Amino acid sequence: MTDAVHEMPGHGSSHPRLSGTVRHVILIAICFVMIYPILWMLSGSLRPASELFGGDAGLIPSQVTVEAYPKGWFGLQINFGQFFLNSLVIAVLATIGNVLAASLVAYAFARLQFWGRGFWFALMLGTLMLPYHVTLIPQYVLFRSLDWVNTWWPLILPKYFAVDAFFIFLMVQFFRGIPKELDEAARMDGCSAWRIYWKIILPLSMPVLATAAIFSFIWTWEDFFGPLIYISEMRNYTVQLGLRSFIDSSGTSSWNELFAMSVLSLVPIFLIFLFFQRLLIEGIATTGMKR
Amino acid sequence: MGAIRRNGAGYLFLSPWLIGFFCLTLGPALASLYLSFTRFDLLNAPEFIGAQNYVRMVTADPKFMASMKVTLIYVALSVPLKLAFALAVAMVLNRGMRGLPIYRAVFYLPSLLGTSVAIAVLWRQLFAADGMVNGILAQFGIIGPSWISNPNYSIYTLVVLSVWQFGSPMIIFLAGLRQIPTDMYEAASLDGASPSRQFWRITLPLLSPVIFFNLVIQVIEAFKAFTPAFVISGGSGGPINSTLFYTLYLYQEGFSYFRMGYASALAWVLVAIIAVFTAISFLTTKYWVHYDD
Amino acid sequence: MTMSHFGRRRFIGAGLAAMTLPLLSGTRATAQEAANIRMIWWGGDERARRTNAAIELFKQANPQTAIQAEFMGWDDYWARLATQVAGGNAPDFIQMDYRYMFEYARRGAIRPLDEYLGKQLKLEDFGKVNLDSCSVDGKLYGGNVGVNAFALVFDAKAWGEAGAEVPDLKTTWDGFAEKCAAFGKGNKNKRLSATADGSGQETLFEIWLRTQGKALYNPDGTLAYDAADAGRWFAYWAEMRKVGSCVAADVQALYKQSPETSPIVNGRSATDFVHSNQFEGCQKLVPAELTATGTPVQDGGKPGQYLKPSQLFAISSSSKSPEAAAKLINFLIAEPEGAKILGLDRGVPASPAIRDAIMADLNPNARKVVELVSAITPLVGPLPPAPPRGAGEINDVLIRISQEASFEAVTPEQAGANLVDEATAILKRA
Repeated sequence: MTDAVHEMPGHGSSHPRLSGTVRHVILIAICFVMIYPILWMLSGSLRPASELFGGDAGLIPSQVTVEAYPKGWFGLQINFGQFFLNSLVIAVLATIGNVLAASLVAYAFARLQFWGRGFWFALMLGTLMLPYHVTLIPQYVLFRSLDWVNTWWPLILPKYFAVDAFFIFLMVQFFRGIPKELDEAARMDGCSAWRIYWKIILPLSMPVLATAAIFSFIWTWEDFFGPLIYISEMRNYTVQLGLRSFIDSSGTSSWNELFAMSVLSLVPIFLIFLFFQRLLIEGIATTGMKR
Repeated sequence: MGAIRRNGAGYLFLSPWLIGFFCLTLGPALASLYLSFTRFDLLNAPEFIGAQNYVRMVTADPKFMASMKVTLIYVALSVPLKLAFALAVAMVLNRGMRGLPIYRAVFYLPSLLGTSVAIAVLWRQLFAADGMVNGILAQFGIIGPSWISNPNYSIYTLVVLSVWQFGSPMIIFLAGLRQIPTDMYEAASLDGASPSRQFWRITLPLLSPVIFFNLVIQVIEAFKAFTPAFVISGGSGGPINSTLFYTLYLYQEGFSYFRMGYASALAWVLVAIIAVFTAISFLTTKYWVHYDD
Repeated sequence: MTMSHFGRRRFIGAGLAAMTLPLLSGTRATAQEAANIRMIWWGGDERARRTNAAIELFKQANPQTAIQAEFMGWDDYWARLATQVAGGNAPDFIQMDYRYMFEYARRGAIRPLDEYLGKQLKLEDFGKVNLDSCSVDGKLYGGNVGVNAFALVFDAKAWGEAGAEVPDLKTTWDGFAEKCAAFGKGNKNKRLSATADGSGQETLFEIWLRTQGKALYNPDGTLAYDAADAGRWFAYWAEMRKVGSCVAADVQALYKQSPETSPIVNGRSATDFVHSNQFEGCQKLVPAELTATGTPVQDGGKPGQYLKPSQLFAISSSSKSPEAAAKLINFLIAEPEGAKILGLDRGVPASPAIRDAIMADLNPNARKVVELVSAITPLVGPLPPAPPRGAGEINDVLIRISQEASFEAVTPEQAGANLVDEATAILKRA
């Protein structure tokens, strides 16, 4: 981290006018590195499968064909439109659950005094540390006894119980950054804990709520292992499961169709990102709050 | 009376997590703890064998040590680099400048790709002997090795992958930076504080809870890293175990070699190791993390 | 309190919204008399299209049987299957791999099918070899879906340009090395080597051992080769590497047991070794036309090849409708209507009658595969003893040790000794 700390002032905060152009040049260069794989995937989706692995596959296809898109979209028994819809429903519901439940719990950890707080907090962090591979089978047994197998419940409902400690911990750190005088004053005015949470903490936490929403949506969208284990019927498939259906390392695979659908699968999460990042910008800095 | 009310409010807010913890998380976790003391081949009932799995791990399993070494190298390299990169870019992107939303989105793109199988193909295109990276090096007269398939270098391609997907900590840093009131910088500027002084006196302390969060989370995630190695090495951890991440080894033991009991024991040892690292980081917070409360 | 009330209301609201979606409800086994079969296989989209079409046809003839099909790629298949089996929710109809068959059969997860033979399963014309290759400890555990040979595939044009003679069914191991050396002399393309490095390919190693009258395993489950044998194997490839006949260590290390990572697909070798059912997958990914032939032989030696099932259809021991599942198996592998739809996608059908029936509809690449299997069939040896528990892990060890040898971390002799040591330790533990 020290590296960043040293280069930071020169880069970030000093002489914004002078370094403006330089900064754009550097940023655009980095942008290319960042975006290269997407371009490459795009170009992969536009060329015949036999041209993908020859080793001399640059960015420009020798012949452009868009046939992988319709072929991929309708390639499975059920078309990708259904998978997109499924993923969207799951991701939206999961995101709502995550943000709501995690913010409630995080408020308790960050602001409320109660017996056993440290203990529960440590336990909560502990749940982040166990690799999921070893809880997979016991969890499957549990969800099966709840009759959740081959439904979306295992992918959605746990989020309403804040089982992903990442979001709680994230919000705790941010809530603790909100000046305490604010809720202290509110409490003097007789506000309940609920009102403080709802009227003060949440409105001041738009950046972190937006962050949590972005991650929650994107990670649910990208989640592959959960759907793999719990969803079996194709009409319930998510986009990620659909994508995996093109590839079979033991035999024949439709790589160009995979790339075509991968490109399309990025579109919704990219849009979600663009949408929520506006909330990110409207942080505390623009609320005109004084410390 | 007041204490009861306070506790009541606290536990009410905590209740979603408590219910989830006791109904959904705790059972499977305890089950895996029990399995770590058994021989469990997935297809038959587990058989209790005491601490044998744990004994074997420390006395007779060279792969345990090998995978631990790979994982420690990965944690030690990828976490600081990724955080430094994320913070640097977040600082740059926090300033008002034209095209900011575009930059932010583009910098987040690699993270959107996540663990797509396309990454495996792409990484070969970039880091094989005749890949793009060596093509660029060749312009400078350097003949590079096959980074991705040479056991001496393959782990670094995974570090690069991790650093390249710096989007998540970057966004969190950005959110943290947004929470720092601009008037503090204005006041400091009026007082004639230099930008570097502002950074040390305002940005860093006020951002420290977020830095701390990113540090803890990235360390945990890096210890648990599975998918990058799984996707890039095709699940093998090769060449010659050079990318055999700890959790990849654990997965092989559990699902490829039908030793879920041993895999569970490996998992709980990992929990202990991560817990120690996390506890240490928490103990250091009083020296460098500044909370408002 | 107000807050929890609100939280709950929100939560229930979201839950209700979710429930109104028709998609969210899981399908339940509603059948009383009728059979309900859950079927699982690995494979890509092409296989799914074919299998689903065949299932539809089966359902028309058997409307009382409901079939739920699930499929996924090989990499994800085994974790999911193991989770379902361990979770007490095993599918009725399971596509099995030759090696995993032994693991699942010996642990009692799939059931013997002998009682259905002659009734639901009419596999008489499969021949003894093809039935034996699907048996464990004398009991039949699966229907042979496709006969697989191990093939040497090459790009004949590249061999021609290098002015070298291509390998054929009679090529010996030494002859193969000489042909590759000749390729190296005439070859102009610097990226291209004559052949992939086969030292880490267990099947090729097994074939090589068998040509010398040895094997991977003894009937009692111990190793059937010694350190010197393995050392000679690694030495053969070390020499190939030294003279530039096979790809360099860091090129072969890119291979991840899948067509798109193989040296021949990536334009690094003119020859490679794949199972016959992967031939079409490779061909699809390269512009050059590929040819398939048998693996090298030994002068005066024994036949190295044997035919094994590319995959089998098995029935879980917990299935409630094994008869219906057996009927479905029979439809897919032994009745022309079903087998024709599956085509060659899972391998060459074991039944000669089926093979003849589908031959007419095959594309040229698929035809090559059938021709290859037919050409190799007279040359094959007997089925080797069943691999013991731990064989899968030993395969991974072979790959790793072959890399240690190719990167010259150990000498071929050491590699041979290490392989035998580690394999013996694994067999002892399992």
